[in-house]
Amino acid sequence: MFEPPIQRLIDELARLPGIGRKSAQRLAFHLLTVEEEDARRLSRAILEMREQVRLCRRCFNVTDSDECSICRDLRRDATLVCVVERPQDIVVVERSREFRGRYHVLGGAVSPIEGIGPERLRFRELVERVRTEGITEVIIATNPSVEGDATALYLAKVLKPEGVKVTRLASGLPVGGDLDYADELTLGRALVGRQEM
Amino acid sequence: MFLTWLQLRDFRCHAVLEFRPDPELNVLVGGNGAGKSSVLEAIGYLATLRSFRRSPEAALVRVDAEAAVLRGEFQGEAGTVRVEVELPRQGRQRVHVDGKRAQGRADVAARVALVAFLPDDLDLVKRGPSYRREFVDDLAVQLWPTAAVDQQEYERALRQRNALLRREGRRADPTTLEVWGERLAALGAGVVRRRLDALGAVAGGAEDLCRMLGGGGEGLAWEYVAAGLGRIAPDAAPVELEMRLAAAGARAREEDLERRTTTVGPHRDEVLLLASGRDLRTRASQGEQRTVALALRLAAFDLLAERRRSAPVLVLDDVFSELDGVRRARLVERLPQGQVFVSTAHGEDAPVGGLRWRVEPGMVQAEGEV
Repeated sequence: MFEPPIQRLIDELARLPGIGRKSAQRLAFHLLTVEEEDARRLSRAILEMREQVRLCRRCFNVTDSDECSICRDLRRDATLVCVVERPQDIVVVERSREFRGRYHVLGGAVSPIEGIGPERLRFRELVERVRTEGITEVIIATNPSVEGDATALYLAKVLKPEGVKVTRLASGLPVGGDLDYADELTLGRALVGRQEM
Repeated sequence: MFLTWLQLRDFRCHAVLEFRPDPELNVLVGGNGAGKSSVLEAIGYLATLRSFRRSPEAALVRVDAEAAVLRGEFQGEAGTVRVEVELPRQGRQRVHVDGKRAQGRADVAARVALVAFLPDDLDLVKRGPSYRREFVDDLAVQLWPTAAVDQQEYERALRQRNALLRREGRRADPTTLEVWGERLAALGAGVVRRRLDALGAVAGGAEDLCRMLGGGGEGLAWEYVAAGLGRIAPDAAPVELEMRLAAAGARAREEDLERRTTTVGPHRDEVLLLASGRDLRTRASQGEQRTVALALRLAAFDLLAERRRSAPVLVLDDVFSELDGVRRARLVERLPQGQVFVSTAHGEDAPVGGLRWRVEPGMVQAEGEV
């Protein structure tokens, strides 16, 4: 045990994901050596993020106003919606620069083991958007995991009756690599999802 | 393929142990509790990421220790591969292959092959269907490493559906239940297809070996019987399997809701082993059952050696003491080329040459050395 003020910070840091006791100690003692202003700036940044960031009322992306910058962007195609599990996933899709529609953040994937059922995710909000926003295609970009696949299937089931086109991101080979280097699993999935030319 | 180096820390009775086996025949001799089976179990664990004695992970960690560490280096056709496993008393195993974090059994199975014979091997023939499912699933993984991913995903989806049934019972959202049912059918079809392929591939060799080991002429046949579906044709197409599994799942829905668990699917299927139509599980002598079990393991070994173009590591854990003189002689005659590990309490029970090692807790020492 360290002096209480240090121990308190170590305990808090250790609760963060990916940070063990050792890293928490290292970070705490590092913060003890930096300029006081640097420490203040860090604590302010944490507080300000919590105070200023909220969820977009349309797509549930993170934003500092009512609607996120993507939903506000009039050049984007409002008839196309890409469904992701978490706000971080939007950044990944955006980096591809291939998608010019809007998003919808579910807030996770169905997982009965963790007690996450459809009522805990933003499915109802998505159906409502499909009904009112003139959306013609929903692209499902959930993770290629057991839970992500089940979530995609669930979405397809609830969206089909709405008369909207539902597609899923293809999983396949990494671009620019040799076929030799693709792992067998990826290659297997790519074979299942092959396309006619 | 052979093991060149093994290092254990806090595994079973071994606090620390280092072992550099011979690339051919190794005979491990030691009394009860000396830890010779544990050494073989550790070798098996490095190759398959589970205990061939079917022990829970916590039982593998030495009493008073927090975690067991197993390290091994195998030499194969394609160079060396180093497998490291950390087994905490609580929580998940951590596996590294050549220093890189491995995702699952597929990563190891792609590099290392091993077949083990156990003293209670006739369980494979005599006991419940889970023993035969495990044998077939393990073989499938060693033949086609990606089969491990199908199996893991099926098990995961099954745990999810069972969690839903257990938590919600009849209040479960019908669409969610339907979704997990469809995923189970799709993933299950892959698992069943691999089992049929593995059985088809090993059956011919096993039948020949049965004749050779037992001298009987009745042969060996198998049938795959799916829970809620009955007999499945060996050439059933994946799409057909998926449709039939989905239909069986739908029919079992009421019972699933009642019992709050998934009652049909590959996790409940049976592999029947037959001789002239006789179910060997219930209508065979102990000797016959032992012959069939031995034949299945040996056939799996031959098959893997052929398909992987390199003999798997062979582990015979205290097998000779269980066999009568004739079968013992035939097994020795049939011992393949490649690296073999034999354990025995009495050296004279193992009528083979090779290098003899004395095993005690924390020590494997070549006999004659001091």
